[in-house]
Amino acid sequence: MTTLFRGFNAILYKEFLVVLRDPLTLFFMFFPPLIEMIAFGYALDNDVKHMAMVVLNEDRTVESRQIIDRFVNTQTFRVVGDVQSVEEMAVAIRRGKAYVGLQIPPNFTRDLRAGRNAQVQMLIDGSSSTIASSALNTALGVAFRESVFRLLGETGRRELPVEVRPQILYNPAMRSPNFFVPGVIGVVLQIATTFATAMSLVRERERGTLEQLLVSPLSRWGLMLGKIVPYLCIGMVMACGLIAIMNRLFHVPIAGSLTALFAAIIVYIFCLLSLGLLVSTRAQNQIQALQMTMIFILPSVFFSGFIFPRETMPWIFYAIGAVLPTTYFIELARAVILRGASLVDFWQHLVILTAMGLALFSLCALRFRKKIG
Amino acid sequence: MIVCENLTKRFGHFTAVDHVNFAVSKGSIFGFLGPNGSGKSTVIRMLCGLLEPSDGRATIAGHDVARETERIKSLIGYMSQKFSLYDELTVHENLMFYGRLYGLSGAALLQRRDELVALAHLEPYLQRRAALLSGGWRQRLAMACALVHKPSVLFLDEPTAGIDPVARRELWDLLFEFSSMGMTLFVTTHYMDEAERCSHVGYIYMSKLVVCGEPDDLKHLPVVNPPGTKRLDVTCDHVTVGLQALRHLPGVRTATVFGQSMHLLVEGSLTGETIRVELAKMNIARADIRPIAPSLEDVFVALTTGDGNGGVK
Repeated sequence: MTTLFRGFNAILYKEFLVVLRDPLTLFFMFFPPLIEMIAFGYALDNDVKHMAMVVLNEDRTVESRQIIDRFVNTQTFRVVGDVQSVEEMAVAIRRGKAYVGLQIPPNFTRDLRAGRNAQVQMLIDGSSSTIASSALNTALGVAFRESVFRLLGETGRRELPVEVRPQILYNPAMRSPNFFVPGVIGVVLQIATTFATAMSLVRERERGTLEQLLVSPLSRWGLMLGKIVPYLCIGMVMACGLIAIMNRLFHVPIAGSLTALFAAIIVYIFCLLSLGLLVSTRAQNQIQALQMTMIFILPSVFFSGFIFPRETMPWIFYAIGAVLPTTYFIELARAVILRGASLVDFWQHLVILTAMGLALFSLCALRFRKKIG
Repeated sequence: MIVCENLTKRFGHFTAVDHVNFAVSKGSIFGFLGPNGSGKSTVIRMLCGLLEPSDGRATIAGHDVARETERIKSLIGYMSQKFSLYDELTVHENLMFYGRLYGLSGAALLQRRDELVALAHLEPYLQRRAALLSGGWRQRLAMACALVHKPSVLFLDEPTAGIDPVARRELWDLLFEFSSMGMTLFVTTHYMDEAERCSHVGYIYMSKLVVCGEPDDLKHLPVVNPPGTKRLDVTCDHVTVGLQALRHLPGVRTATVFGQSMHLLVEGSLTGETIRVELAKMNIARADIRPIAPSLEDVFVALTTGDGNGGVK
């Protein structure tokens, strides 16, 4: 054991000092992830509320005002102004002053009272599909409810013939931060930690200190472990910060056990650091290390299920996602944070992450040649 | 102590070190000279086990450097060209790091640190970051780090490059001290005055070892002193003008300026009177002419420009 990891304590001592002495590196390790976390968390909020709506009320009756109130009461729309013509309404949408235009034609109340089909026209800005579909769904819902209640009144029945009583488990409010933020933690941790180790050996190679290490009796395993442990500690501190932000700033409750969450995080960070170190053993300079790291980071953003569900991806992207540590971490984190899953339910994910980490770490040590040139 | 047999290193089609043979005995200071890119650093890196030889072999204290790399690591110390130190660490921390790297701990580590601090006179700078040290002190610290495990052979790759003359002198004093304690030193350098101080020198040129031996022996080589010639030192005013005149004088083989004088290699029959007459034509009235022995520089110039071995391929 002592010969296998010979020199580990020396590298550990040195690496801790170097990291702590370099406030700029430390700053760039900590600051961007926190900003990214906050930015991602807010930017990825899919919950559409209070979207701007202009109203063209050509009817001007109690009923027409009632129907407008129904729209506003859904919380999805907010009236930003009245317009006098359809053209004016279209202009407001084109200029981005409103996402939605609601037109109530002059004969609305008359048709309604006569029991004819009373129509309301809605113009929706389709340039953002999320906003458009949300507006559409809400509008259809309002019309449907209104119709049903009127029919109920006419028939004299007090209850609906059929009713679905949905109960949403885990994230009942269907808030999108609850879905996105655990994934953001996975992606942000990857960016910060992979770069840290990807640079570390390359920097020593550039400075010439690597040569000095290679003429010493330091073992490959000792070198690799000594490089990883300090960053593992820093990564854990960062993870604590990210989880605190998730909990306090985005109000995402942690349903499962913190122990399970931290077990997942520590294995995940180990995986990422080993990946960075593997890049470091290959890259000849810091630019190369940067580019090689990006090759791993981009797929982790797109194919890990962080934003888009993996199930709907073409098989090739699905397969890429299956070899990324981030995929397993995000699934695990969501399960623990949102569904309160225990590690018993998701032990396979933990095993896969551990296996990936150990394989990457061994690959680093085995690939690393104690020669130069 | 160090033996190289046909040591060769090829990088693709380029042969950086071509069948080099030499031996360095215990306790000697071996000066390894040659122009930039001639293969000096490549030889050192092979001897330290950092590069695999393409052909031939080298041993240190009987251990093959390529096959027993781990074994020789405890025997050798290596100070690379750039004084590779950790800039973020203080002098004390650099020493502690290298000590731990070589397996020292506890009281033994502290004791060794104290010894090295005393040896390199680093006391005033213990708490200073390596980044803030001047060239001379960086070099001392790098050397102290390379000595942490008491190696029997110390490799120094251009230890005095970019160092002021006083620091240079002090480093050499230390090297002599180590040599007297039985340590073998292998030093590459560009400076001829440093080469003169070595007990043995080797000169590598265009990947080949041109010559190897004690400085005095090299100065008496026939190539350096062709039969029927002598070396003269001519001190006069307007040396550069004089040089132009003497270069074309029949009987003068080579003429080079050395500060305020010229070094000439001339036919034995050429007299001082002929030289004075020639200089007088250029209005140089007075000239001090005396015979001299060749310097190491003369040796290397003769070996690399002459028609003998080591000429341009």
